[in-house]
Amino acid sequence: MGTALAGKKRPGEMMVQLFLLFAAGVSVLTTLGIVVTLGKESFLFFREVSPIEFLTARKWQPQIEEFGILPLFTATVVTSLIAMMIALPAGLASAVWLSEYAPEKARSVIKPILEILAGIPSVVYGFFALQSVTPALRNVFGGERVDVYNTMSAGIVMGVLILPLISSMCEDALSSVPHSMREGAYALGATKIEVSLNIVMPAAFSGLAAAFIVGFSRAIGETMIVALAAGAGPNLTLNPFRAAETMTGHIVRISGGDLSYDSIDYNSLFAIGLLLFLITLGLNMLSSRLVRKYREVY
Amino acid sequence: MKRSIALTALVLTAAFAVAQSSAGKFPWLDKMSDDPDKMLPGVDPTKVTGNIVTSGSSTVFPLSEAVTELFVKEGYTGQISIDSIGSGGGLERFGKGELDVANASRGIKASEIEKATASYGSDPIEIRVGTDALAVCVSSKNTFAKDVTKEELAKIFSDAVYWSDVRASWPKKEIKRYIPGTDSGTFDYFTEEIFKKKKEPILGAKNLQMSEDDNVLVQGISGSEYAVGFFGYAYFNENKSRLKALSIGGVVPNQESVDKATYPLARPLFMYVTGKTLNDKPQVAAFINFYLSNVNRVIKRVGYFPAPAADLKKAKQAWLDATKGRY
Repeated sequence: MGTALAGKKRPGEMMVQLFLLFAAGVSVLTTLGIVVTLGKESFLFFREVSPIEFLTARKWQPQIEEFGILPLFTATVVTSLIAMMIALPAGLASAVWLSEYAPEKARSVIKPILEILAGIPSVVYGFFALQSVTPALRNVFGGERVDVYNTMSAGIVMGVLILPLISSMCEDALSSVPHSMREGAYALGATKIEVSLNIVMPAAFSGLAAAFIVGFSRAIGETMIVALAAGAGPNLTLNPFRAAETMTGHIVRISGGDLSYDSIDYNSLFAIGLLLFLITLGLNMLSSRLVRKYREVY
Repeated sequence: MKRSIALTALVLTAAFAVAQSSAGKFPWLDKMSDDPDKMLPGVDPTKVTGNIVTSGSSTVFPLSEAVTELFVKEGYTGQISIDSIGSGGGLERFGKGELDVANASRGIKASEIEKATASYGSDPIEIRVGTDALAVCVSSKNTFAKDVTKEELAKIFSDAVYWSDVRASWPKKEIKRYIPGTDSGTFDYFTEEIFKKKKEPILGAKNLQMSEDDNVLVQGISGSEYAVGFFGYAYFNENKSRLKALSIGGVVPNQESVDKATYPLARPLFMYVTGKTLNDKPQVAAFINFYLSNVNRVIKRVGYFPAPAADLKKAKQAWLDATKGRY
């Protein structure tokens, strides 16, 4: 009977399969479409501007033919690093607590709350950065040292935004470490903190590393917070209290105005987009390689 | 059968409308006139039919929008299109005969008059509707900067790094600049007046923040005593408690200096229309009449300054001359 059924054509199932194939195809084709568009438009850009100038010149002002990505790039890196400095320790610590220390009841309440944080629209975070965090920074460090728009406040709030992502991924990694390892360590007389830091964390290293990198690439691509709070003009500076514009923030600001197509300004946006795409793609590939390389198989 | 009667009726009405538009009194005349100068005849917007096409300056745009709002509120049911494509673009289309009204924040050039005259078969009439004073602002916390010369303005918005580079007695603190984006007409006007149309000096300046959103600029400037920026007077007016407008060469931007044309960054706002359009399209005559009669009811709210009374009267007289016998 089983074999008879296997040979039978089932149109309903075929339909479902086709639909699933179609769904997978749409996302693959979308990705391809994005890559093609980015490539085509940035090709037009790089016909006018040499990639060397693009990557090394120190000024970005397309209207007067200054095409150095560095000011936008450094602002992106500075905001992302600040975000990681907040999100990494806090995310990892909360993951360790959730997975190793928290009683089951507390965990079942706190984890969903943490995930709510991730559900707040990033434009709300941006407004929060501009209206609450920046004034606080200016109170603490002095209004003249801290600009109204600055990368510090954008970075801090971005750290809060990606904290749930990092915490949740780390927690998954820590929880998947088998209990037998913890119990073995306890049997040898290890304390709880020793087990957490010396046994569980190293065992989950690949998962933790992947979480950090995914968080970092999320920070690099984050847009609304930096567009609102970091600044609205390219500025080559490493000082986090100064205004500076990130790659994503610049794209938002310029494409918001009525830019004429086929202008070099328009194409330059695609070159920035392509660079962003390559950076996040690179980071994601790095993360999957790390996972494979350091994966402990139990 | 019924249908053909309806059709005939429609043709008759259309023929009647054409006959009326080419001669006779305007159909929208009203006994009550809004004109404070008592020069123009009254307009009843409910009796105005037909669409109006206007285009041009983005500075004039909000003013035209406000007047149009009033026109519609009082009963006009047609369509008025107001394209915001810049004075040059508007006058170019005007030269091709595509517009009923061109909006401009500068005077029409001789070459543009020539083209328009050729296209419409009638001379363009200049109608002064108001004045804009571009305001250069610092934070109200700023204690040292009160007055600048035009030359100092050029330094502030280009190669000066510190305030002390502009004037030795000012503090050695970095200038933080907040300016409108390069898409904006205000940016164009400023570079034209201060840098003779060159964009390089201002775009090459350090600590430059740009936004098409003037509220972003207001927030930036008001946040630091060493910040400076500029925008249309309307935004200064709205944020007087947080901002201070610099006087230029000792001249403060206000009604008086704008009237006397002593404020160097004041510019007239115009509309251009031909006498032929006024006569062929009664709705355009009604709109211009309504505009001139009511513009001073909204202009301060929009954030600009009323045109000098003499100029407004001149525009009204031009309207009267062009439409003689129709009112």
